[in-house]
Amino acid sequence: MIEVVLNDRLGKKVRVKCNDDDTIGDLKKLVAAQIGTRADKIRIQKWYNIYKDHITLKDYEIHDGMGLELYYN
Amino acid sequence: MANRTDPSAKSIHGTNPQNLVEKILRSKIYQNTYWKEQCFGLTAETLVDKAMELDHLGGTHGGNRKPTPFICLVMKMLQIQPDKEIVVEFIKNEDYKYVRILGAFYLRLTGTDIDVYRYLEPLYNDYRKLRRKLGDGQYSLTHVDEVIDELLTKDYSCDIALPRIKKRLTIEAIGALEPRKSALEDDFEEEEEKDEDEQLMDTDVGGHEKDYYRVQSPTKERGRDRKRDSHRHRDRDHDREYDRDYDRDRGRGRDRDRDRDRDRDRDRDRDRYREREGRERERRDRERERGGRRRSYSRSRSRSRDRKDDGEERRRRHGRDRDRDRDRDSSGSPRKMQEDEKPAKKKKEKEKKKDDGTDHPDPEIAEANRIRASLGLKPLRL
Repeated sequence: MIEVVLNDRLGKKVRVKCNDDDTIGDLKKLVAAQIGTRADKIRIQKWYNIYKDHITLKDYEIHDGMGLELYYN
Repeated sequence: MANRTDPSAKSIHGTNPQNLVEKILRSKIYQNTYWKEQCFGLTAETLVDKAMELDHLGGTHGGNRKPTPFICLVMKMLQIQPDKEIVVEFIKNEDYKYVRILGAFYLRLTGTDIDVYRYLEPLYNDYRKLRRKLGDGQYSLTHVDEVIDELLTKDYSCDIALPRIKKRLTIEAIGALEPRKSALEDDFEEEEEKDEDEQLMDTDVGGHEKDYYRVQSPTKERGRDRKRDSHRHRDRDHDREYDRDYDRDRGRGRDRDRDRDRDRDRDRDRDRYREREGRERERRDRERERGGRRRSYSRSRSRSRDRKDDGEERRRRHGRDRDRDRDRDSSGSPRKMQEDEKPAKKKKEKEKKKDDGTDHPDPEIAEANRIRASLGLKPLRL
């Protein structure tokens, strides 16, 4: 189990517990459940790399405690 | 300048019509090349030409959420606000299905509840195929009536939040609309009548012939699915109760009555078993056998045979029953067969909850697992 921090730099900072074999799409659903926006309105980035929905967190090498950027579509 | 709404346009739902599309999507549309090149200076007439060239519908797609031409034209219509007659013309035209969908979408966004139901429900009869672009860029197949159903029942479509409309029942209660008359209603009524006749015939015939009729019906031309669906959709209590009895009988078979008889006898005899020896058991069975033959045939099965034979038969036919009987033996208290199923089911549910991890001692993890279970994800691997 890893815990990922998502920050949108406008006031929403969210810590989400997930497995490392979850996909980014699953992570978006978990974030949507916590934030309240729809899952398909959320975009997760790291600098200019937009993370794709079908790839797992392990493949993106997202480790415990790592911070991701939260944007909206 | 090109993005400002027509100054003579009315406000829709209390706001600038373009604000029906939310801010982020609106900015994406303004920056889109299709919007800048093709949608500049469009009027109602030229918009029709552009609409005829559409070949798919959808919202946004791709990683950076590129809008489709469909959604750009919806935005253009919101900007220029064509008259209601023109929109109704869009919907009524039969030749171009994407023009129809465009008009329907615009009416759903801007029209009143009654107008929405009145003009969109006839489109339920249109079964033509449509191409829809999904969020990941792939196309999927859908139909006109599916899209209309989505517009009327859901509150989000093509990346635009649809305004709230009253439910049809409310409007019918007010009296502003007639109850919906489906084009398939005549077909349903015919089916209902045929089903009623069949069921009446079944109740007249004996029990073992019920299965025979049941086997026959799927082979009829109507097809099993429609028969099942017609039972599901209809509100007649008569049908529902009959189905329930029907299914129960069918599930257990003719053996159900016999099992119940057997179990009742078993309970009574079990205490006696424990007291006596095996030899005495046989003696008793022989007596019962003699006595059983004189009784009615419904009970003869349970009494006329030897206890051992009964057990063997049961083992052969119903492995499930045997386990249940074994449980009952160990517990020692007489219970009916249905009540036995309920504790077994409760045990299974409890075990399932443990697999979900929702009863973890740490409340945070339990809560996270609960959310994951509701989303359909596996529990956290600690």
